[in-house]
This record gives sequence, C-alpha cells and structure tokens, in this order.
Amino acid sequence: MGQEKEGTEDGLKRRGFMELTIAVLAALSGLAIGLPLIGSVIKPSLQKGQQRFARVGKVDTLKTGTPEDLNFADITEDAYIRSTDLHSVWVIKNSDTNVTAYSPICPHLGCRYKWQADSDHFVCPCHGSVFDKDGKVLAGPAPRPLDTLPTKIENGDLYVEWEQFKEGIPQKETI
Amino acid sequence: MFKNLKQWIDERWPLTQMIHLGIDEDIPGGSSFAYVLGSTTIIVFLIQAVTGIWQLFYYVPTVDHAYDSLNYLRTAVPFGWLIHGLHYWGASAMIILVLLHLARVFIWGAYKRPREITWLAGILLLLVTMGMSFTGAPLPWDERGYWAAEVGTSIAGSVPLVGNLVKRILLGASTMGQLTLSRFFILHIALISILLIGGLAIHLIAFRKSGSVGPWDDKKRAKSGRFWPKQVFYDAIVGVVVFIILIGLVVFLPPPFAGPADPIDTTYVPKPEWNFLFLYEALKFFPGKLEPLGTVGFPALAILLLVLLPFLDRKPERNPARRPYAMAIGFVATVALVGLTVAGFLSNPQNAQASKAAVSTPVSSGKLSSSAREGQNLFHSLGCSGCHSVMGSGGSAGPDLSNEGISGRTRDWLMNQIKNPNSHNPNTIMPAFSSLNDQQLTQLVDYLLSLGSGDNLSISTPIPSPQAQAAMNTTPVATPQISPEPTIIPTSQTDNGGTNTGSATTNQEGPPGLAADVMGSAQHGSVLFSNECTSCHGNQGIGGVSNPGSDDGEVPSLNPIDSEFVDQNPQIFAENIDRIIQHGSIPSGPNPKLAMPAFGETNTLTQQEISDIEAYVLQINHVNRTQLVNPGIPPKQFFLITLAVFTVTGVALSLGWWFRHSG
Repeated sequence: MGQEKEGTEDGLKRRGFMELTIAVLAALSGLAIGLPLIGSVIKPSLQKGQQRFARVGKVDTLKTGTPEDLNFADITEDAYIRSTDLHSVWVIKNSDTNVTAYSPICPHLGCRYKWQADSDHFVCPCHGSVFDKDGKVLAGPAPRPLDTLPTKIENGDLYVEWEQFKEGIPQKETI
Repeated sequence: MFKNLKQWIDERWPLTQMIHLGIDEDIPGGSSFAYVLGSTTIIVFLIQAVTGIWQLFYYVPTVDHAYDSLNYLRTAVPFGWLIHGLHYWGASAMIILVLLHLARVFIWGAYKRPREITWLAGILLLLVTMGMSFTGAPLPWDERGYWAAEVGTSIAGSVPLVGNLVKRILLGASTMGQLTLSRFFILHIALISILLIGGLAIHLIAFRKSGSVGPWDDKKRAKSGRFWPKQVFYDAIVGVVVFIILIGLVVFLPPPFAGPADPIDTTYVPKPEWNFLFLYEALKFFPGKLEPLGTVGFPALAILLLVLLPFLDRKPERNPARRPYAMAIGFVATVALVGLTVAGFLSNPQNAQASKAAVSTPVSSGKLSSSAREGQNLFHSLGCSGCHSVMGSGGSAGPDLSNEGISGRTRDWLMNQIKNPNSHNPNTIMPAFSSLNDQQLTQLVDYLLSLGSGDNLSISTPIPSPQAQAAMNTTPVATPQISPEPTIIPTSQTDNGGTNTGSATTNQEGPPGLAADVMGSAQHGSVLFSNECTSCHGNQGIGGVSNPGSDDGEVPSLNPIDSEFVDQNPQIFAENIDRIIQHGSIPSGPNPKLAMPAFGETNTLTQQEISDIEAYVLQINHVNRTQLVNPGIPPKQFFLITLAVFTVTGVALSLGWWFRHSG
C-alpha cells in the first residue's frame, strides 16, 4: 500500500508546514471569536450607567434663595428593563436662569440631611454634619461638601440629572 | 518542559492515548477535500455551542423579556451583534453541512456494513439538528419565531390520534405562552443539546472504529494517507473559509429585527424557516383530510427509509454507477427537497389570498381597466382598506364596499363622498380626501364601481345603520381588530374661544407606553402604517391631507416629522412620538375636523403594533430604531480586519512554504 511521502525529507517538511498552518489557523480563529466573547462580558461590566435629565418642576414656582426639597420621577435603565424610580433633590434658585441642585444624600455615610430654616443650614441627623447653602461643610464628620447634580433649564422647566456618589471619601466620585 | 508536563499527565491520565485515538488514523486513498464536511459541521457546531452559551449571559426566556433582552444583546453589548448573528447563520450552516455530509456518505456508500451505527447516529444528528432549528426559532419571541412555533406545533397537532396531545405537551398549555417558551428553551439548550452531544460521541467513536471508507475504486484505495495532519489541514482551511463566510453573512445580511410577537396581529403572514419550507410547500399537495399524510406520513416514511437504508441495501457494492436504484432514489429525493424548498421560498401567501379572492369575484384584477387598477392601488395606499372591507379583506370601521358597484350610487355621488364626506352625512367620521386630483378621484371611483357581483358574494360586514354610524361618530373605535377612523371632535371640545396657545396641537397628557421601550420592526411597521395611518398622514407620511378647522389646515406630515419630536437617540425619539400614539392629540384651531386617536389607550393598536409603527416613523426620518449603540468594533470594520488577518497569514504561510520547498 502506497503512502503519501510520509517518511521522506520532503514529507517531513510538508508535515511541519501543515501542522504549523493548522496551529496558526486554529489560534487566529480562536482569537477572532474569543476576543469578542470576552469583550462582550467584560466591557459592559466596566461601563457606567447612562443618566438622563429628568424634569423636576417649574423654575418660576421656586423661591429665590430658599432651598426646596423636590421629588421627581426618573427613568432608570437596568440593561433592557426600564423602570421609573422616585428621587428627591434639594434645589436652590439663584436666578431665573441659574439653579443649584444637591443630592439629598449626606456625603459622610449616606443619611438624608434636612434644611433647618431657623439656622439657615443643612443638618444631617445621623452624625451631625452641618452644611451651608453653598454646600460647604461647617461642622461634623462629612469629608466633602454636598454633592451637586447637573441641571439645565429649558422653557422654564428645571431638569436634573440624577447621580449617586461614593460616600465617606474627600473626592466626589460617581458610583 | 512540555514533555515533562505531558509525561506527568500521562502517568495519571491517558493523554497521549486519547490524542492518538483522536487523530491517528489511516485514510484509504489519502486525504481529500471531499471528506471535510463532517469536520466542518463539528467546527460550526462548536461555534453554535459557544455563541449559544454566550447569549445566555443576556437572554432571558420569559415572554416579557425575551425579545428585549436579545435586542439588548444585539445592540448594546459589545460584539453582541456578532454573537447572535453567528448563532443565527450558524444554524442554517449546520443544516446545509449536515445534508451535504449525508449526501456524500450516501453517494460513497459509506452507510454499508460495518458502518451501520455511524449512519444511524448520523440520522439521529440530522433529526436533532432540525429539532434545534425548530426549538431555537421561537426563543427570540419575535413575530417570525412566534408564528413559526404556532404553525410548527399545529403541524404536530395534525397527527392522527395523538396530535392534540403532542401539541398540548409542546405548548405546555392550550395556547402559546410562557410555558411554551420555557419548554422550547429547555428543549433547545438542554434536552436536544444532550442528544446532540451523545449522538455526536456515538457517531465519532463508531467512525474511529470502522475508519474512513475511502474511494470505491480499489486502485485509488491502494494509496493511503493519514488523518493527521493532512486531512486536518484540509479541514482547517475549509473551516476557516466557512467561518469567514459566516462573519460576512452576519455583517452584510444581519438577522432581521422582526418585531415583538403579537398573537392578535392579523397583518403578519407567517412562513416557516427555510429548512422547513419543503414541508410547508408539500402540504399544498395534501388538502383537507389528507393533510396529516403530508405533515407526518411522508416525513415519517422518509426518516424510516433513511434509518432502514443500511439494512435494505446490503450489497457491498459502493460504486454509484453500479447502484442505479439507490442513486435514482437519492436524486429524486434531492430534487424534490430542493424543488419544494425553492417553491416554498417563492410562494407568497398574500398573493395566494389575493388570487383566491380574484377567482371568487367576477371582477378579477385581470378584468379591471387600467384606471380601475390604478384606483385599486390608491385604495390601498391611501389607507381606505384600513376602514373599508372588500371581499373580506380590510377594516370594518366603515361600510363594506364589496358590492359598491351595484349599490346604485352614481359616479358623482362617490366622487363627492370621497372629496367631502360631510356633504352626505354631517356626522360622518370619514376624512375628506380633498387633496386628490381629478384623475386620482376618477381612478378610485372606477375601482369602486367595478366592485360587486350581486349573487354569490356575501357581505362580511353589514353596512352600519344610520344609528350605528352616529354611534361611531362619537365613540373612538376600541376593538383591537378594528382599524380606527380619525376621531371627529365635538365642537365643544375644540372651541378654545380663540385662545390659541400657539402650539399646533394639544397633546393628551400621559407617559410613554410600553411600546416606546420595544424595538419594533420598521418593515412590518410600514405595512401597519399604510393600513392605519396613510388616510390622515399621507402615503409614507408625507402629509398633504387637509384638516379643515385646524390652525395648520392639514394633518401634520410625519415625513419629515416636526423637529421637536426628533432625537438621534432612537429611544428618546420613540418616546416622543409614543405619547401621541398612545394618548392621541387634538390639533389647535377653531374647529378641527380630525384629531389623532388615542391608539394605545383605546387598545385600537396593540403595543407591539405601535412599536413597529414607531420604528417605521423613525426610519422615514432617517433614525434607525435598532442602531448599534455599542458594537465593540463596527461590523464592517470587524469583517475587514478578520479577512485581512487571515489573508495575510495565509499568504505569509504559503510564501514561507514556497521558499522552504524551493530552497
């Protein structure tokens, strides 16, 4: 029975070339499908959630210089599931075109602070952090000022982009 | 180091033996490209297995999340388009490769003693592959998959005696629903998969035991080759070519977005996947009581023949030239299979229905004058069929027009009715088609006058009595199956006392509905749009339909749509128009005759239909509802990179070999 040049030098060369080709093609195919597979699992895990501005109210109904606690509905996207969550935000109208919005979460350990009109301060009931209207820490363990939220005003409507930040650290860092 | 590692493993586990078992084999007659089909099928199976498992990172098998979760994978997950696309096209490739492999084995006579078990396991793998295709199709829970499963389980239900039971077991209930999806899911990813892996193991072990069959010519068999590396070398080359073709198909012919499954949609015409088209077409030869013969009898007989083949054809002769009966049967079966598949592919159920209607009415389109034929086209493109039925086809909100030609109404009356319906009935809900020119009016009336035979036709929807018409004028149509008329607004509702706010419309309050979050099918949306929306928004949404009493004087164009709705983010764009479709809107003006009905609130359209229409409206405004938000690497770029890498590598290896060989 004849053989396909198995034992000859030429046959060995041919065999080596074929083995190399098989290995290279297998490796490349593995990369061509493997990298996308890995990317599809790892990349989304590292992406930050996209936020959108939510309408919280009319600017002309706010009193200038007085903090107000406003509730609003925010559409939350959890992958393909969209749900509406209620959030609150402290807003201070500086002028008809300028409004400051604070996250209602204390940057110390996440408690909800309150506005005390008599002392003109924000006070956190948990550990006694005190902030002024500009969000600056006046007293207590809070490591940073109150966290501001992005705002925009369109056609007299105030929009806020809801974000959450890491607590207990001096830098404002989005979660 | 590798030698030491190999030795270490060999002392504990038979690694070297297993490798030898896997690749050391003589091939009588030597290696050949003719033998690559089995290995290539395994390569594609591996792609299917990996991409199938990977989809489970995102896919959720529930009727409320299956469609959305898969679309999320396809558009928002990096390379999700590739993973799903490879699985989609890989399924078709599997069937083609399995059938080609079977054909080669048949021609080579490789099913004969002692290879009967290899053949039987192969037939099991063919059935299992078809089963994977059948159970995989409904998993996206889109229109295609839903209706494929509906038709498929109904075919199973036509089996005499046990059909109903089989259908109920497949569905998990009396109708398609969550339990059906769960069953198809578990069959696809577990039970049939296990059968596939088991069948493959038996197939490969039996193949290794009996070895390759080689050529039937003894002279050619005298030469011998090895499976490793030469046959694997051929396998690898063909495998890579098939892999690149699959990527090309994913990039240039991506799987369609068929729109969410809608059990009450009557505008979708189901057609099975291509690999079941032969069965679908064959059924046409077995009408009525003979149907089970086509659905079950012949397929069962064909499978039985395949199973019995090695036991019926026991002569050792393998040369096809000396097996005329086997070759003739194989040829006839192939021609029948391919012919039925092509015929099924070319057949159009809608045309079939239309031709049926044409046969039953004396006024077939063949007898229509050219003017009436133009009028027939206008009748559909203007959306008249959304409200009026002709020969049982069309909406039922307006009178049936099947016998309009013999109703005794004059040409002038009909023209007047189309141009100004209020002149005949001040309370009518029919919109005025005043934008039509004289020629179009004549064509439309020619068509209407051509309708009707008088004797053998039954009117499917009675012409509403004056009382019924009056009731329709004030009540928005709320039945899901009925196409709505534009709402006619009572004067008190629109009389804003001249305090026009400047806005062209007053949108009804309300949030976006469920449809806004769903990626509809623009293709199906165009059909729905022409049925439901063109009568007011014009053909393809270009407007031009008058709305007396409104400030704008016309129904707004949707092509292009008012810029305040447009957003390049398809989700936001869809939400913007969804509010109007769900809740309706009233045009500003002293006394607008037409208002946008609340299609969603009144359940006039299903949320699935609304999502399809929204996808279409986005498309005519150049925004793709299913655009890739996060492709990883854009598809075309990925294809070019892959092709370039493999080409350069192939050229480099060939040059390396050529230099070494010539040196």
